[in-house]
Amino acid sequence: MTCLEVRELLPEHAIGVLGEPERARIQRHLMTCAGCRKEAGDLGQAASTLAFALPPARVPEGVGERVVAQVRRAAGAPRTRRRARTATAGLLAAAIVFASLGWGAVMAGRAERFADRAAQAQREQAIAIEHFQQVLGNVIPGGAPSDNETHIGQLAPVAASGTGGGFALQLVSPQILDFVMVRVNGLDDPSALPMRVQLVNDRGRVLRAGRIDALDEDGGAEVYHQFRTQGLGGFTTVNVVDSGGRLVLTGTVDQSA
Amino acid sequence: MTTRPDGPLLAREEQQLVEGLLGGNEDAVRALYARYGRPIFTLGLRLLGSAEAAEELTQDVFLAAWRKAARFDPARGRLSTWLMTIAHNLAVDRLRRETGVTRPHLVLVDEVPELEWVDEEEPLIERDAAIRALESLSDAEKRLLARAYFGGLTAREIAEADGIPLGTVKTRLRTALIKVRRANQDKERP
Repeated sequence: MTCLEVRELLPEHAIGVLGEPERARIQRHLMTCAGCRKEAGDLGQAASTLAFALPPARVPEGVGERVVAQVRRAAGAPRTRRRARTATAGLLAAAIVFASLGWGAVMAGRAERFADRAAQAQREQAIAIEHFQQVLGNVIPGGAPSDNETHIGQLAPVAASGTGGGFALQLVSPQILDFVMVRVNGLDDPSALPMRVQLVNDRGRVLRAGRIDALDEDGGAEVYHQFRTQGLGGFTTVNVVDSGGRLVLTGTVDQSA
Repeated sequence: MTTRPDGPLLAREEQQLVEGLLGGNEDAVRALYARYGRPIFTLGLRLLGSAEAAEELTQDVFLAAWRKAARFDPARGRLSTWLMTIAHNLAVDRLRRETGVTRPHLVLVDEVPELEWVDEEEPLIERDAAIRALESLSDAEKRLLARAYFGGLTAREIAEADGIPLGTVKTRLRTALIKVRRANQDKERP
């Protein structure tokens, strides 16, 4: 969607009357567009004013205590650690696609980083990680993996004049087949196709994570790969190379987090 | 954890409350509920039409807020807006599930029985501010926003019902929201 199309729908988005397909498309756009996000925030605040203007109703006794108890239970509930070492890459990929994870949040984070807003970028990354965990939790028996099993890294152009960016999410777990998902955006040279996504460890060993044969209208693409026998521990460098083998984007996944 | 009950929260205080919520801190949850529980319940009552549904919604909102707490960013908007957006979205989602349609069919304002509204002895800071902000609108603009926000009508449905161009309705909705936003901003300025 273009900014113009999004802005035309933002009032109804703020008011909450759009159908799910439009709402999801707008959400995806907002993840990557700071200008529209600001407009959406302003309109959303105005819309919520309507709710606060209602004459307050009498709340039955005990609701507050039940709210407190419910949050306390949820916050203190132990997470199950027993999960099958299963889940296919196809299932994960489908779940991620359908969940519209908001990968663009991290793209926005990249922009914020350039604007020297590291804290904002960090927050956006936390959102992406959370989404990643939620999706994995939906398809992996036993629930979502923990924070120390899911990692993120941003990809930036190698050349100073290069365009685009991206990020990589990795699941590195002793109990689940390791998985990587790479999202790129803003690549404007179709002649560089097909591009390849590689993971590299500190000894220079290279794993192939996938191939990009086409770019969408935003110069974006996604690659998913689940490694059936290979663990991803130590494979922290993520490279995107063009058809001639030249490095286009690179970045490092922080597996210590 | 203490917050001032008699004034708007500072961004730092909002962040503290949300961090407390994230950690399941009971004081933080109680403070949030004390401030926002009633307006959330009220919205639930207005949209869903029964006290039972409103209570379920209220519980769901705080649970959802706990789940989403890491995403809250005071630089992007007020805590009150964030919570009320969660509440409105959850109410709309619930109506979607129950009606099996992809667009919300909300209860019209006029159809909601005035179920026991409380006296105005507990004025909410946010409510005072909201009423003042809405004073910037004409009656027609107020009705338009209410039909959309509480009635769940899209711009197209309003346009068809009123026999006016879709673009006009969209423009009026946007203008009305911007007026409210500006009124809020004026109020926020020292």
